[in-house]
Amino acid sequence: MSKVVLVTDSTSDIPLATRERLGIEMVPLRVVFGEESYLDNVTLSPAQFYEKLKGSSALPTTSQPSPAQFLEVYERLLAEGNAVVSVHLSSAMSGTYQSATIARSMLDDDSKVTVIDSRSASYGYGALVVSAAEMAARGASREEVAAEVLRLRKEMKLYFLVNTLEYLQKGGRIGKAAAIFGTLLNIKPILTIGDDGVIFPIDKVRGQKRAVARIVELLESDFGPGAAIDLAVVDTPGDVEAADDLVAVLRTRFNVAGFHRSEIGSVIGTHAGPGTAGLFVFPAGSGHIV
Amino acid sequence: MVLAGAERLSQQAELINALNVFPVPDGDTGTNMNLTMTAGVAELKNKPSPDIGRAAEVLSKGLLMGARGNSGVILSQLFRGFARAVAGQREITVPLFAAALRQGVDTAYKAVVKPVEGTILTVAREAAKHGESIARRTEDIAEWMGEVHDKAAETLARTPDMLPVLKQVGVVDSGGQGLVCIYEGFVHYLMNAEMRGAASAPYASGWTTYAPVASASSSPASAHVTAAAAAHASAQSRIATESIQFPYDMEFFIRLQGRTAFSETSFRKALERDGDSIILIADGDIVKVHVHSRRPGDVLNAAVAYGELTNFHILNMRDQHRELLHPASGAEPAGETSDPMGLEAASGIPDMPELRAAEAASQAVEPAHPVAFEMADYGVVAVSVGAGNDELFRSLGVDAIISGGQSMNPSTEDLVQAISSLAADHIFVLPNNSNILMAAKQAQELADRPVTVVPTRSIPQGLAAMLAFQEEQPASVNEDRMLRAIDRVLTGSITRAVRDTVMDGIDIRGGEYIGILDKQIVSSETTVMAAAQGLLERMLASGDETVMLLSGEGAEESDTAGLAAWLAEAYPDAEVERHEGGQHLYPYLIMVEKSD
Repeated sequence: MSKVVLVTDSTSDIPLATRERLGIEMVPLRVVFGEESYLDNVTLSPAQFYEKLKGSSALPTTSQPSPAQFLEVYERLLAEGNAVVSVHLSSAMSGTYQSATIARSMLDDDSKVTVIDSRSASYGYGALVVSAAEMAARGASREEVAAEVLRLRKEMKLYFLVNTLEYLQKGGRIGKAAAIFGTLLNIKPILTIGDDGVIFPIDKVRGQKRAVARIVELLESDFGPGAAIDLAVVDTPGDVEAADDLVAVLRTRFNVAGFHRSEIGSVIGTHAGPGTAGLFVFPAGSGHIV
Repeated sequence: MVLAGAERLSQQAELINALNVFPVPDGDTGTNMNLTMTAGVAELKNKPSPDIGRAAEVLSKGLLMGARGNSGVILSQLFRGFARAVAGQREITVPLFAAALRQGVDTAYKAVVKPVEGTILTVAREAAKHGESIARRTEDIAEWMGEVHDKAAETLARTPDMLPVLKQVGVVDSGGQGLVCIYEGFVHYLMNAEMRGAASAPYASGWTTYAPVASASSSPASAHVTAAAAAHASAQSRIATESIQFPYDMEFFIRLQGRTAFSETSFRKALERDGDSIILIADGDIVKVHVHSRRPGDVLNAAVAYGELTNFHILNMRDQHRELLHPASGAEPAGETSDPMGLEAASGIPDMPELRAAEAASQAVEPAHPVAFEMADYGVVAVSVGAGNDELFRSLGVDAIISGGQSMNPSTEDLVQAISSLAADHIFVLPNNSNILMAAKQAQELADRPVTVVPTRSIPQGLAAMLAFQEEQPASVNEDRMLRAIDRVLTGSITRAVRDTVMDGIDIRGGEYIGILDKQIVSSETTVMAAAQGLLERMLASGDETVMLLSGEGAEESDTAGLAAWLAEAYPDAEVERHEGGQHLYPYLIMVEKSD
C-alpha cells in the first residue's frame, strides 16, 4: 500500500518544524502589498508581515494558489508512489480548495488523491492536518486519514477574538451577519466558523475582559466547567496581549492537558487583522494537540 | 485577437473590481482576471505560433500558471477546454470556434466545485450555446463573434436576476463583465482586421461604453439614465419599477444667507435619512445639492433653512424607468430629458463640472451601495437625545432615531410613523426612557406589523440592548438577549438640582450636582467631579467593570479628562471608554457593565 502524504496550504499555520517532522507538503497562498507579491509563510514570515502591515497605508490583498501549483506537488508525490490527502482553507473563504480540486481533475489518474474542504481556517484545520499526518505515519490508508480529518473537524470547538471587525469586512470574508458593527464603541466580536465553513460572530461584547469571560462561558458550556482540554492558541506577532490573556485565564479555569501555540500567517492575518487570537479546543486525551 | 481581449480587460479592470460582490465582496475580480490574462498573454508572446492549436495550448498553459482568484481560475478553465478542442488544428473556422467555446464551458463547469448561476459561468455558457446555434448561418468569424459577444452582454445584464446578492447590491456579475470585455476585444480585433477603416462597422469605430451599462442596468436607485443606457433597455426591463426605493431625483442650488450656518455634515445627515446618491458641492455662498429621495418636501424644508433655493430639477425616476420600458412614440430619448445640466446653462448659476465628475465617480465606485429590494427581517427604532448618542445608536444598527427624552417625549404617532417608515418585517423599539415606555406600547398596538418593545429606561440600557442584538436570531431570542443585557447594565446620571429638597435621605441644595443611580439619588455635591466620583463609587462593585462616560451639555473637557484619570487611579482594573453623547440636562450619563 502506498504511503499517504498530507498536503495543505499556508493558511493552516502549521509551524515549519512540524511540517518537516511529519513530511507535510505546504502550498503557499500569496499576499500582495501594492506591487510587491510574497509567498505566505515562505518569502514572508508572520513577524515580517505584521511589521509591514503597520507601515502600510493600504491593506494588502491575498490570492489563492493557482491549480498549477497544486498539480506540480500532486504529480511529484504520485510519481514517488505516494497517495495524497490534501486539506485546505474553507471554500467559503477562499478559492484555494477550488484550485486544488481543479489540479486533481487534471491528473491522468486521480484515484489516489483526496481533496478536502476543511470548512475551517488557521490552526483550526492545521491541527487536523497534523493529527492526520501522524495517523498516516502509523500506516493508515488514504480513506482512513480522510475520514479522520472530517471526524476531528466536528469534534473541535474554535473561537476567534479579533481586535476589530474592520479587516474581515474590508476583505469581504465576514459572510453571515455582515451587519454594520459599531466601530464607535470598543466592541470585541467573538467569532467562530460554522459547519458550512462560514465565519460568523457568536457575540459582541465590550472590552477585552468581558470578551475573555464570554469565551470561558462558551467553553464551559461546550466541555463543562473545569474540564480537561487540549488547547491550541494562535496569535499575531507583535500584538499577543489578547492571546496571552486568554491562555492565562483558561489555565485557571480549565485543566489544560495538551497545549500548542503558533502564529497566524500573513493571509489569515490580512483578513483578521493584528491583535487576533484564535483558540482551537478538543476534549483532553484526544492526543490531537501536543 | 487575444491581445485585444486582454487589453480591453485591463482597461476595464477597475470597473470590474467595483462590481465585485460575489462570491466574496473583496473588489479584486478585475485585478485577478487581468493578472490571469496577462500571464496567458505573456506566455503567448514568449512562444508565438501561427497554428491555432499550438497558440491556444500555450495561452492555456500561461493562464493556468497565472490563474488568480475564482474568476481567474474559471477563465483559465474556459481556455483550457478551448485549447483541447482546437488541439492539432492549424486554422480556426466558425464551427471549430463554436465547438471550442462549448468545450471550454464544459471544462469550466466540471472544474468548479459548486457551479453558481448568474456568474461568469452562465455568461460563457449562454454565449457558447448561441455561438453553436448560429455557427451554420455564417462563415464570417467577425460577424459570428459579434453575435457571441452580444449574447454574452445580454446574459450579463440578466445576472442580477439569477444571483440574489447581485440584485441586492445592484450590480452585474464582475467575472461575467470581465469575460464580456475579453469577447469585446476579440470582436474589435476581428472587425478591424477585416474592414480596416470602415467607419460604419459596428465595432470598428471604437469601444462601446460599458460603465453606463453597469450603473444603469443594475443600480436603479442611483441610475442616472443616459443615452447610452437607453440602448440597453433590455437590461432595465429586468428591474421592477417599484424597486426604485428613492424615486425623486433632485437637484437644486442653495444661496446661503447666513441665517443658519451651513454645515455640510448635518445637512448630509438630514438627507441620508430618506435618500441616497447624495452629492453636495459648496462653492462660496452657493451649494449645489443632488439627492435621490423618497420625500422631496423634507429635502427642500431642510435646505431652505440655509438660504434661498433656486434652479430646481426634480424628476421621478420611476417615470423615467417606465418610459424606458415602454417608450411613448415621439417622446424624447430619456437620455436628453434627464440631462440636468441643460437647465443650468441659461440660469446664471456657475456651472459646476465637478458635479458631473463626482456623480459619475459615486456611481462607478459605489455600485455596492446597498439598495433594499426586499424587506429586512428586523428594523430598530430608538429614542435618543444628543447627536453623539444618535451616532452611537446608528453605529450599532439602529435604523430610525427619534429625538426625545426627558421633558421632550415623542408622541405615539411619532413612534408609529418611525415604525412604518422602515422596510422591515419586525420592528424593535427602544424607548430609552421610562416616560416613553407607555407611548411605545401604544405604538406597538397601532403599528401595521409585529413590534417588540424592549423596555429600556435609559440610553445606556438602550446601548446594552443593541449590543446584544443579533440579526440572524429569531425575534424571541433577541428579546430575551436584550432583556438580559438590560439587567447587566447600571445607569448613572449627573444633573443639577432645581431646588432645595431631601430625597432618598440625601440633603440637596438647589444648583448642586446630583448623582443618580438608576432612579435613586446617591450623591449631591457642589462640583460635577465630586458628584460623579460619589456616583461611580456606588456603581463600581468589583472594580473590573467596563465603564462608559457619555458627556453631555455642561460637561467640561477638563472634567471628563479628570474623571477618567481619577477612574484609572482608583479602579485600575476597570476598562474606561469616553464618548461625547451631546444630551442636554445631563452633563454625564454613565454606563457600567457588570463583570460576569
